[in-house]
Amino acid sequence: MKILRTIPALLLAILTTLTPARAQSTVVGDGGSGPAKAQHLTAEMQSLGPAIAPGGTQIVGLVLTIEEHWHVYWINAGDSGEPPKITWKLPPGITAGPMQFPIPERLPLGPLMDFGYEDEVAFPVTISAAPTVKPGPVHLDAQVSWLVCAQVCIPGKAHLGIDLTVQPGAPSPAQEPKIGAVAEALSLIPKPLPASDKFSVIADNQRFVLTLIDGKPETDVEFYPYDKDPTDVIVNAADQDIETLRNGAELYLKRSPDLTTLPPTLHGVFKLSETEAYDVTAPVVPGDSAAMAAAAERSHPGSGALGAIGLAFLGGIILNLMPCVFPVLFLKGLALVQTAGAGTAEERGEMRRHGIVYALGILVSFWVIVAVLLALRATGSHAGWGFQLQSPVFIAVLASFMFFFALSLAGQFDIGLSLTSLGGSLAEKPGYAGSFFTGVLATVVATPCTAPLMGAAIGFALAQTTAVTFAVFTALALGLAAPYVLLSLQPAWARLLPRPGAWMEVLKQLTAVPLFATAIWLAWVYGQLYAAGDGVNQLAFLLACFLLLAIAGWALGRWPAMWSSRITALLLIILALALPLSQGETATRASALGAGAATPSATANPAEVTWQPYSEPAIDAARSAGHPVFIDFTAAWCLSCQYNEKAVLKSADVESALLKGHVLTMKADWTNDDPAITAKLASVGRAGVPTYVLYPAAAGSAADVLPELLTKDLVLKAIERDSK
Amino acid sequence: MKRIWLGLLIAVFAASAPIARALPPGSTAPDFKGTDSNGVQHNLGEYRGKFVVLEWANRGCPYEQKHYKSGNMESLQKQWTDKGVVWLSILSDGPGQQGYVTPAQENDYLKSMHASPTAALLDPTGNIGHLYDARTTPHIFVIDPNGKLIYQGALDDKPTPDPASLKTADNYLNDALNAAMAGKPVAVAVTKPYGCAVHYGN
Repeated sequence: MKILRTIPALLLAILTTLTPARAQSTVVGDGGSGPAKAQHLTAEMQSLGPAIAPGGTQIVGLVLTIEEHWHVYWINAGDSGEPPKITWKLPPGITAGPMQFPIPERLPLGPLMDFGYEDEVAFPVTISAAPTVKPGPVHLDAQVSWLVCAQVCIPGKAHLGIDLTVQPGAPSPAQEPKIGAVAEALSLIPKPLPASDKFSVIADNQRFVLTLIDGKPETDVEFYPYDKDPTDVIVNAADQDIETLRNGAELYLKRSPDLTTLPPTLHGVFKLSETEAYDVTAPVVPGDSAAMAAAAERSHPGSGALGAIGLAFLGGIILNLMPCVFPVLFLKGLALVQTAGAGTAEERGEMRRHGIVYALGILVSFWVIVAVLLALRATGSHAGWGFQLQSPVFIAVLASFMFFFALSLAGQFDIGLSLTSLGGSLAEKPGYAGSFFTGVLATVVATPCTAPLMGAAIGFALAQTTAVTFAVFTALALGLAAPYVLLSLQPAWARLLPRPGAWMEVLKQLTAVPLFATAIWLAWVYGQLYAAGDGVNQLAFLLACFLLLAIAGWALGRWPAMWSSRITALLLIILALALPLSQGETATRASALGAGAATPSATANPAEVTWQPYSEPAIDAARSAGHPVFIDFTAAWCLSCQYNEKAVLKSADVESALLKGHVLTMKADWTNDDPAITAKLASVGRAGVPTYVLYPAAAGSAADVLPELLTKDLVLKAIERDSK
Repeated sequence: MKRIWLGLLIAVFAASAPIARALPPGSTAPDFKGTDSNGVQHNLGEYRGKFVVLEWANRGCPYEQKHYKSGNMESLQKQWTDKGVVWLSILSDGPGQQGYVTPAQENDYLKSMHASPTAALLDPTGNIGHLYDARTTPHIFVIDPNGKLIYQGALDDKPTPDPASLKTADNYLNDALNAAMAGKPVAVAVTKPYGCAVHYGN
């Protein structure tokens, strides 16, 4: 077998080196009319009708009948191939227009994609006769070439011809009966877009988003670009994601990495079905394709929303374990202890009602925060989750509240948030207000401790319709409330607790400790919100506020339940808060950090990992130099962020992996509101911190978003994967 | 429970990693290892300091035949290797696919065509092809002595199998190497390659 193949090959090689270069395919056909049989296809020139009027037109077509599994190409062949060509030799007075291409199909070939035709295709050409042409027979001569491929490609040539009769009064093409291959091809030529329909194009670094509005939902659309020089505009082989609209469709096309700048217009065929397609052109408008993709989700709240709701509920439950929320839960747990052993039906009912009021407190607070957040975003502000903690006013008020509450628990005074409101005699006012308020407190302190799973759910939720957003946050709120509510509904559990006694007072005072600690932490955050030197000064004002609060607390404790002491305390509190709040809008960290772009430490960086401030130009520079970029989106008030940084990002293993991979490490500090950082978060589908993004070394590749709770293993694997 | 969720999240992130890699002009050409038709191992790194041309080839493709049967590709190979350029022909067609050849077949072909690349690398697994996103035969990549990709795309500006086109074709490979050797920037660094598709195996 081998010998038989090598001898002809050798001969061929010898012959071709001796003979001058010549087209290696023979030309089939003799120029007469009728079909010509070539390798893997038969070619014929056919006409819609036999006659043409002087001054009129007729449609002829190159008809190719192709062997099964072989194909020829569309005008833009795709990743490989070449369309057929016709070179006419025409009698005087007869002219031919360009070849028209019917609706193509996608022809995948491994990882590549071509555009073309299988089985049978005809390419119509309009022939015109000048008014001066004399009646009689005319012969149209056509030299045709093509490339027909299956696994291999075979170029082919044919010398075809067709006879027409020039005849005054001959019917025009429109009047001809529509039968035959040429007629069918004519019906398959992409049509111009009707005036009632709209076609628009938005593009960015990743994608082209094509929108067709034609009044009915389209489910199966494809786009074939005409543009291919100097480079392809889209990745021909990439999937074209469809978003069916009520009145049309959106098509998401992957932009070609070879494309350096966006073309001014996009021209191509928008295929709706095997028989319907439009020839469309539109100016390319730079836009945000990620935002459009998120907005597209709005019409399909289905599984995406359900998943987010489930995640949010779980996240809420896990939040109970976070250091921010735990003290509050502890307080409520104490309330349960109070009723232990009491056991009467009314008291159990009391407990249940308190549980529900607590849950209500959480729900209402969440709804208020989300409503404010959505209102802010609706007015154009790019607020994200945790936005309330970017405001010094809010932090000052929250820290003061924590401090004051802790003073009460420590025993300085009693303000009705006491735990003894539960249980005991029913004659006492049931402190529902207390339970509700505890729920509000739980929500407020939960924000900085973004639990695992919450980040993705929140990012998703904020991009959806209002209804879905509220549904997701309601699930979160219910998750947060769930453990205590369940406990309060199970009176049997309470019987396991020790009987009430003096130990409860000690426990109450002990809970003041984590609350004082939270106040200290918030005070630290408050200081962080200001530019370097100023923070300490501002903190002093906050501490003075605490002092005044302590005095107010003393007044309340010294003369309990007296209006005079209450009024005094209130005045003192107002004065206290006025101290830090009167400082106004002094330079915050955001403006200090905004200055200057960091230069990427692409080459050098010796023994240390330095975290550069966030800078978009630095990211671009590093990526085009082929370095991965690790962005740590963090904030001073975000406890999970601090944990991840200390435990994982600053560990020896991770630091050495970052250095080895020449990763540009960047810290996006979101302590203060920064619209650039908020926008960047949104572009990776997140709305809060912590968020960790690793851009792989290969330019043009998508961001790798890591989970909120980092482990060393996770980060090391990600660095290894994305350094390639 | 947390582990499972973390695992799921990681899986989702990993699955969203892109398939195709882009090589922007001026970026570092990816390093690779390959075995040639004489069993010798080559890696790109060992040619640092020299110009390197990567030429994806397939003798059965009419576009390739235009260049080989006319002697065009062979004369380009001789001309540039004489000037110290390392020319690597690469065959990335998978076993069972058209274009796949054994080392002996490739050596016979090179001898009979009087082709003189520095080496012909056989890449049946398609690793090198995928690394460069080589799509057609021919598909040309030019790498400068610093390891940077200075040209990628078609050999010339006539995407046709007709050898007559060679008379008037503008050869992008010559343009790129001439400019780079004269210390000038390469005017056209990226073009759309033409040819038959590379037949990657599965």
